[in-house]
Amino acid sequence: MWGAFRRNTVRSFAVMLRQRWFGISMLLLLAAFILGPMLNVLIWAFTEARIQPPRLVPEQWSLKWWGETFARLDVAGGFTTSLGISTLVTLIAALICLPASYAFARMEFRGKTPLLLSFLMVNAFPRFGIYITIAVVFFRLGLVGTVPGVVLIQLVNTLLFMIWIPTAAFQGVDRSLEEAALDAGASRLRVFVQITLPMVLPALSASLLLTFVGTFYETQGALLIGIPNVTTLPVVMITLINHHIRQLGAVLSVALWVPSLVLLIFAQRVLRGGTLAAGFGL
Amino acid sequence: MLSSTHILHPARARFARLVPYLLVAPPVAIMGLLIVYPAVLSIFDTFTATTADGVRRLTLEHYITFFRLEDALPNLWFTLRITVLTVALLFGVCFPIAYYLRFSSSRLSVPIRFLALFPMFVPGIVTAFALIRFLGDNGWIENILFTLTGWEGWVSPIAKPQGIVIGLVWEGVPVTVLVLGAGLAQVPDHLIESARDVGANGREVFFRIIFPLIRRSVLIVLTLNFLGVFGAFTIPLLLGGASPQMYGHYMANRLYGIGQYTHAQTAAVIMFVISAVVGTLYVRSVVNERIGKGH
Repeated sequence: MWGAFRRNTVRSFAVMLRQRWFGISMLLLLAAFILGPMLNVLIWAFTEARIQPPRLVPEQWSLKWWGETFARLDVAGGFTTSLGISTLVTLIAALICLPASYAFARMEFRGKTPLLLSFLMVNAFPRFGIYITIAVVFFRLGLVGTVPGVVLIQLVNTLLFMIWIPTAAFQGVDRSLEEAALDAGASRLRVFVQITLPMVLPALSASLLLTFVGTFYETQGALLIGIPNVTTLPVVMITLINHHIRQLGAVLSVALWVPSLVLLIFAQRVLRGGTLAAGFGL
Repeated sequence: MLSSTHILHPARARFARLVPYLLVAPPVAIMGLLIVYPAVLSIFDTFTATTADGVRRLTLEHYITFFRLEDALPNLWFTLRITVLTVALLFGVCFPIAYYLRFSSSRLSVPIRFLALFPMFVPGIVTAFALIRFLGDNGWIENILFTLTGWEGWVSPIAKPQGIVIGLVWEGVPVTVLVLGAGLAQVPDHLIESARDVGANGREVFFRIIFPLIRRSVLIVLTLNFLGVFGAFTIPLLLGGASPQMYGHYMANRLYGIGQYTHAQTAAVIMFVISAVVGTLYVRSVVNERIGKGH
């Protein structure tokens, strides 16, 4: 009976997938579930007064709350803090990870594979459990509530992407082109700058951008370690989530979301190339 | 790569052998200091205690005290139930999407792929705000239902376990579709066609050809989602209720609200132990995947 049930489910599943209505209803459900909440936030961000049922859209559209939101000291301060910390984290991550990924891709040394795989450890434990144990260490070192503390905890997040994506990119470079240039008398530096770098640049900039945006949005580490002195923008956002003026949270959500829109457009190519999948260990 | 045309001075050769180690040392050191050391320290701290004579001895007292807390075990069960439910839901929702994207030639797959990957580019904090405004009390859904049908029976899932599950599913769709899609992409069309040619039906094609080829991706996605949900913090904090709490939320409260470092560390170690099995499975399937692909 189970066999018959399974046979029927699988067959009807395959048949169902070929139906046009299946694709259309999947699209509609996804649109409602994924875009619905975002569209609602977008409407709130341009609403003058609270939307009172039975109305679905505001009576009066306005930009008033944009000025109000960015005039707030916590928002302005959070923005500066986030920008500074994300830049710092991205720079440090690039500085320590890119040379390492070059070594992983192009040099032979003992223990290479285990070392490269050891970066999976970041993913192999529940992230917040790791953060709690780090927080205890940072308490003892007096790093809680300091910028270096927040930078360090956010660095943890960036390692896997900043090592694995560039390593895959460096591995993908066609060595024969480099050798041809060397044979033609080009110096090693020139070969690197003019041949190797242009080939890996799309993947490198993708990983830098992912690191920057990911760090800008990182909330749990910044909240746990930043308290009470270092307040990044997402942490400010937490305090606005249940604010009685809903437009404040809505405006900040839209503003926070813009950088990722840029990333989304940029990443279309990267996503299709499977670069991003390399960051998840595929 | 050493050029064969000139011979290096022995000292330089020794240095050249050190270069790769110097290059990979900084990120490895960061990982050692920020992941391995704190985790090991927490294990040490929670399994030892200083006795009256000033010596640190092995003990289980921290764990006994911890499990006597009235909310420690209920919260752990709650977390595990939510985790299993969310992981199952994510798979149930995303497998048809990934399957459709792989095997359908319809033009609908372009917008479907876009929508499925969209949440990856929305910060968790914005997700939380958007879902509260959308599903919560006086939210858009309630408003739409009331305006269109006059129905006032909408029950908000926010500040309840349902809120956590919805939020985590919303966040988890892109990675799940991406990883399952990467697995399904490895199934060659000609294999399915030739199986059909020799008379295999849909079920046989699925269980004998497709499933064995994507088994690793399925394992990766299940383990990755388990670890992600188990270790979640922001969504449970903002979309869940005050009690019961997910473990991330609970640990943060123990650390700050009550200032009990050892309780928080104990909870973290328990989390590590539970996820060790899942984490090992994840690492093993990723390693196998890479070896299988010849990396």
